[in-house]
Amino acid sequence: MAANKTQGQQLTIFMAGITSACAGIAYLSNGTGKVALVVGIVLLALAFWKFYSIKSLEGKIALESQPPLQKLMGLVVNIVGWLVVLLGIHLTPSVGGRMVAAILGLTISLFSIVIMLPTACNKNAIWKA
Amino acid sequence: MKLSRLIVCMCALCMSLSLGAVAYAAPSAATAELQQGAAKAPAVADLQKGDPGGSLTGTINDVPVGDSKAGLTLVDVANQVGQNKIGINFTWTLITGFLVMFMQAGFAMVESGLCRVKNANHTYMMNFMVYACGLFAYWILGFTIQMGGAAGNGNLGGLQPLMSEHTLSLFGRTWGLFGQNGMFLAGHTYDVGVMVIFLFQMVFMDTALTIVTGACAERWKFLTFSISSVIMGAITYPLFANWAWGGGWLSQLGTNVGLGKGYCDFAGSGVVHAVGGLSALACALIIGPRIGKFNRDGSSNAIIGHDISAVLIGCFILAFGWFGFNPGSTLGASAAGCLRIGSVAVNTMLAGCTGTFGAFLYMWALKGKPDASMSGNGLLAGLVAITAPSGFVSTTGSAIIGLVAGVLVCLSVTFVENYMKVDDPVGAISVHGTCGLWGVLSVGLFADGTSNYGGSWNGVTGSVTGLFYGDASQLVAQLVGITTLVAIVFSITFVINWILDILVGQRVSIATEVAGLDIPEMGQLGYPEFVFKPEPEVLLAANQMAVA
Repeated sequence: MAANKTQGQQLTIFMAGITSACAGIAYLSNGTGKVALVVGIVLLALAFWKFYSIKSLEGKIALESQPPLQKLMGLVVNIVGWLVVLLGIHLTPSVGGRMVAAILGLTISLFSIVIMLPTACNKNAIWKA
Repeated sequence: MKLSRLIVCMCALCMSLSLGAVAYAAPSAATAELQQGAAKAPAVADLQKGDPGGSLTGTINDVPVGDSKAGLTLVDVANQVGQNKIGINFTWTLITGFLVMFMQAGFAMVESGLCRVKNANHTYMMNFMVYACGLFAYWILGFTIQMGGAAGNGNLGGLQPLMSEHTLSLFGRTWGLFGQNGMFLAGHTYDVGVMVIFLFQMVFMDTALTIVTGACAERWKFLTFSISSVIMGAITYPLFANWAWGGGWLSQLGTNVGLGKGYCDFAGSGVVHAVGGLSALACALIIGPRIGKFNRDGSSNAIIGHDISAVLIGCFILAFGWFGFNPGSTLGASAAGCLRIGSVAVNTMLAGCTGTFGAFLYMWALKGKPDASMSGNGLLAGLVAITAPSGFVSTTGSAIIGLVAGVLVCLSVTFVENYMKVDDPVGAISVHGTCGLWGVLSVGLFADGTSNYGGSWNGVTGSVTGLFYGDASQLVAQLVGITTLVAIVFSITFVINWILDILVGQRVSIATEVAGLDIPEMGQLGYPEFVFKPEPEVLLAANQMAVA
């Protein structure tokens, strides 16, 4: 299934939904804003439900499943690297100590996006078959 | 004794009265002088004869008078001076914003030229529609998150309506997280200054969005591309941009924990390019490589683009637009430090030049040919890298930064393709991601401490100074920014696009991909009268001719 009318219609509903939701947030203090927010959320839910229901019509794609747990692990390690940097800033006032913590944290985060996540995403890559 | 006291008191009284008279008389004299000047100004009859030399046009008569009965006063002149300053800055910021907007055309040509002819329409259309998707998302939400708490820029009149930043108290300090004013540019943000900063920041945001389309070209479902771009324009980009430019926590690293002048990114190597490049990496990982890119043993095939002329012309358009990107980031031409725009512009062109040389010589010396597409990427790499430091470094520094970026982009393209096994048809991850991060880092190394934008940066007194000029703490601030980009920006984009993959599906079908995306996704070929070569021949020729 390539681009078609259903996709176009659901994208229109998505755009209307996100606009209405944002308008609702902007004017949340009054009644109209609350109604707009609810309408927006309903439209967004409707659009995504429809997107999901037509997804299987796309046909076979050149991509096998990517292990979710491995991907999650990669993301967790990535965030851990960032936390190391933040903690380093607050644990020591010395520039040298903060520099070491920053480099260590960055290395951990880079390890995640350069090694862990590509390995996870390519684990069942179609070109390996 | 009494007499002497009386004399002293009398003298003091006389002096104060005379000074008061002078003080009272001064404005009157000035006003009289102004009115004399107005009387001497060219009369209407003189102006009716025409002014070929330009000496009669633009005189004291053109200064608006507040009270016609009082005539021209010093207050009128001062008001006009203030209006002129803001007017110059508005004009400067808007025109440079228009230049940045034109970069979309450059991106479209570069990305489409580097793709195969069967996907030309689809790639051009992604670059076209990303403008609308991003702009709309930014208007309804993104601008608020980014700039909703960014009041205080004197160059654009203060931007006082943007005064609400959501903050978090942590470790005894207050950290900005996201802005809250400006949705739909309604209410108090219906303001002349806010409109100018909206336009300028919007075109920057759109630049980041269009980077992703290059890395995901030739296999990205148009529906998912549209949704992903709206979400990135509304949330991902504005969030980091707030932390760096909108008064957020990265910009407060100097005031809160004494790290240099806080995270410094003059025009967006990090905010725009690294955000775009890392988002491109996240999306490319989820979407996977194109059919035929990798062999079973993991080796890669070069898939040659269809139009190198479009690529190189596109690079020139981008280089032209960069004169809006970097010098425009002073947000004015008439305020403290803004005359550095010349230096910023020269740094920009120099880094582009040395970046081109870096890639061009690397390819020629090590691979045997002066590869055109990599030379183009070298130009862009130099420009990307100098974007953050352009306002803080000397010409020597900018030349070194550009040269390193030119070589770095060649190494990174090889690394991303051969070691990470990520398919990036246009090299967007390397050009914008890798070199964007290098640009952010280079501020912490090469900032020479001579810039002076009003005596402080991010609320810290003094000039931005890097490690090589004596301030190691600035490098730490830059490293914190880099890690935030790698960890937070990447992760947010990865999660959003992972969810989109589950709900909508990121990739077109095998049949669509093999046929080319133009007909199935767009309904029209990019070049309907071209004769297509069979795919295997193209691949064979590509393998024989490839130098990269």
